[in-house]
Amino acid sequence: MDDQKRDDILKNIDTPVIDTNAKKRALNLAMAEFDSVQKEKAARKEKKFQGFQILSRLMGNSNTQTNKRKRNTMEQRSHKKFIYGGMATAAAVIIVAGIGLQLAPNFSAQSQFAQHAAIDTLSAGNAAPQNKGRTETRSQMSNESALVEQESFAPQPSSSPAPKEKADQLSGHKNAPQKEQAKMQRQHGIAEGKAVPMRSKDEAVAARTMIAPTSPSSTNFTGIMHEADSMIALAPADIVPNHYQDTGRDKFSDFIENPFKSVTADPVSTFSADVDTASYSFVRRQLNNGVLPQKDAVRVEELINYFDYDYDTPTDKSEPFKPSVTITESPWNAGKQLMHIGIKGYEFTGAQPNSNIVFLLDVSGSMNSPDKLPLVKNSMKMLLSSLKPDDTVSIAVYAGAAGTVLEPTKVSDKAKIIAAFDRLSAGGSTAGAAGINLAYQLAEQNFDDNAVNRVILATDGDFNVGINNREELKDFVERKREKGVFLSVLGFGQGNYNDDMMQALAQNGNGIAAYIDTLSEARKVLVEEATSSLFPIAKDVKFQIEFNPERVSEYRLVGYETRALNREDFNNDAVDAGDIGAGHSVTAIYEITPVGAVQSVDPLRYGQKDEETAEKKYNADNIYNEQNFEQEIAFLKMRYKLPKEDVSKLMTQPITQENNANNTETQFATAVASFAQILKGGKYTGNMSYDDVIALANAAKGDDPFGYRAEFIQMVRLAKTASDMQP
Amino acid sequence: MDKKSEDALVTAAKSGDRDAFERLINHYYDVIFKFACKWCGNANDAEDITQDACIKLARFIGKYDGKSAFTSWLYRLVINCGKDWYKSQNRHPTPNPDTLERVKTESKSEDQLYAKQVINALYQLPEGEKDAVILVLSEGLSHKEAAITLGCKESTISWRVHEARKKISAQFKEEQSYG
Repeated sequence: MDDQKRDDILKNIDTPVIDTNAKKRALNLAMAEFDSVQKEKAARKEKKFQGFQILSRLMGNSNTQTNKRKRNTMEQRSHKKFIYGGMATAAAVIIVAGIGLQLAPNFSAQSQFAQHAAIDTLSAGNAAPQNKGRTETRSQMSNESALVEQESFAPQPSSSPAPKEKADQLSGHKNAPQKEQAKMQRQHGIAEGKAVPMRSKDEAVAARTMIAPTSPSSTNFTGIMHEADSMIALAPADIVPNHYQDTGRDKFSDFIENPFKSVTADPVSTFSADVDTASYSFVRRQLNNGVLPQKDAVRVEELINYFDYDYDTPTDKSEPFKPSVTITESPWNAGKQLMHIGIKGYEFTGAQPNSNIVFLLDVSGSMNSPDKLPLVKNSMKMLLSSLKPDDTVSIAVYAGAAGTVLEPTKVSDKAKIIAAFDRLSAGGSTAGAAGINLAYQLAEQNFDDNAVNRVILATDGDFNVGINNREELKDFVERKREKGVFLSVLGFGQGNYNDDMMQALAQNGNGIAAYIDTLSEARKVLVEEATSSLFPIAKDVKFQIEFNPERVSEYRLVGYETRALNREDFNNDAVDAGDIGAGHSVTAIYEITPVGAVQSVDPLRYGQKDEETAEKKYNADNIYNEQNFEQEIAFLKMRYKLPKEDVSKLMTQPITQENNANNTETQFATAVASFAQILKGGKYTGNMSYDDVIALANAAKGDDPFGYRAEFIQMVRLAKTASDMQP
Repeated sequence: MDKKSEDALVTAAKSGDRDAFERLINHYYDVIFKFACKWCGNANDAEDITQDACIKLARFIGKYDGKSAFTSWLYRLVINCGKDWYKSQNRHPTPNPDTLERVKTESKSEDQLYAKQVINALYQLPEGEKDAVILVLSEGLSHKEAAITLGCKESTISWRVHEARKKISAQFKEEQSYG
């Protein structure tokens, strides 16, 4: 043992190179603190009472969002001696100091972001949970000071070459579904061999090296974008599978699967349309990570409606959709049947309506990971390609503070908009956390009665948008909807994902709720389905199905648990329901037991009377003519409002055995429904296995122009692997 | 920066000179960060602790009385910040010496391995001994200065450093004897 050698080592403990950005940040914060201390000193000298205003600001600022917790405690800690003068002032001064000191060029802010993102991916590999709080706080700070930075920067002239390159880039993505598919296959190969895709760390390192050359001197920001893109494409695989349990912080509303209901007891089933797809992408993300999703994350109808089905389309805008009903044998239970009700919304043939869109983007610290803010930015840029030159776009951001990054701008000025997105990590800021107010203000400022006025909220679930109370926020969105400004919600990321809240908001805002896990999902929602995502053709679409007890003894609605309506709500136009966009297709599946087949619910011993009254009820309704009842299995009623109308229209159609048909579309829907229900525990799917689902889906793949159905089959395989791994 | 200009800077910053304070942070950030890294043995945590320490420094620089060397006082502030930080994070320091090392390809791998073992042993020491070793051996403080930083007697520091050296060496002897 060489003592000298030992002491030498202890003398020269290596420390990593200092991160200049971290240093700059610390310097800014320290200077802000220094200034506030000096101010306090001066104030104490003057012995001036600062009034209650500061107190009330202090109270207003003390929001309860969890990811701000640390910052708040830090502030409280360092200010506890100066309750009257301290906190609010300090918060304001941080911003002021930012202008003066953060003189870094625009690009360094960007590369700083990229580096952070890469580090995040890395740390996800070893110690994600501990690191999270840290990154959030720090970037929170950096966001705040960075937000200000932009105010001192005019739009960068260097962004002028943007439109062309951007367009190239976008068109370059057109072939991505195949890529995505190939990737999934690759991943699956690994998953089968080793059960878990474990290549994460290496790839994260690769992602980092890709980012590394993005030096501050680089003026080619599209280059940065490309790198970011490729990183995002890798994102789902980059996350080390952490066994996902119900205790995750992602919030879903819990619900119980619809059971079989006896037609005699409950002949009418009422529900609202749901064209959201968030559940599908969330499930896909989980499965890509090699874990089964939590059961409440699986909403069967959203999985089914993720796909576009080739139903008959109406030709006239005044009757925006047309139901097509088919009846097939149930693969789940012998003797039972499946009743598919498919509707497809009218598709625009002429010019698409004008849009006035406000992006409300979450730029809080928790968004600082490659599958969040960078993906948001790219997604939003993609959406631009779906808009017309006349359309207006504005951007508002919120973090600790809310601010307008882009005043309403015509899409024809694309370079300006893209530059605004690119500056986002260094966005503008005003005091106060009133993000959603601000977004609606922007929308109203440019309100066009003939256009679609829509706020698109992109977030990872942190709803610190100025209104903290959940109900209040829903009401706010609802009031604005009545004024004609709609809200759509795009969810990003994982870990803090608040699905529950996003669904509620989108429903109240007459918009879609989608979950964006990859760039190709962004393209699906915002480019390929842009018309359906943006332009509603019917609102408050409700379904009511009345079963004929002569033909059907029991029924079970597959999915739509969170969309159930009361029977009386159907005719009440004040009750809000789902909306359908141009070209959207909605599928509802009922599993029915024909009279005579084995029932799941035992028939009532004393039930004869009930049956008669039910039948009478059926007969009594005057809108039916009396002859054909015996042929009818059920009667479908739909109510909807045209976008600008307040009075609903009724559409009816009797369902008879003649609708008995079997085609690839219903088969595929059945496969998806089976899969979703198996994921939920397979309570009603009998002996159906993942392999059966694969076989069924394979047979019904059809044309599959975008490869979504092929992707679904891969996903089932992943689920099979993941379920084998379950303890 | 020599001792005299350092003192002048500290005095100016203390009296509320904004520029002086900015230069002070600019200069001492590196010192704080390096020390924080060694103290907690984890570069990721150190960055946060350093940030907190800079903010604290802004608030408490007025409290520096000039009786001890500025660095001894500063190290004390950093250690306190570190302890507070871990408390606020609700966890204990998790030394991860791998985050400290810069990759040195030119040096012999055998030496590297040895160095790694020594450093690992360092983070297994009791806190007081570890802190004393870092302050005295790595940061080059005198035993007297280290005693001020850690708020104990000079003799305690001497004893702790002695104990630590013994323990680190002992670990190697043990390993060697087991082959």
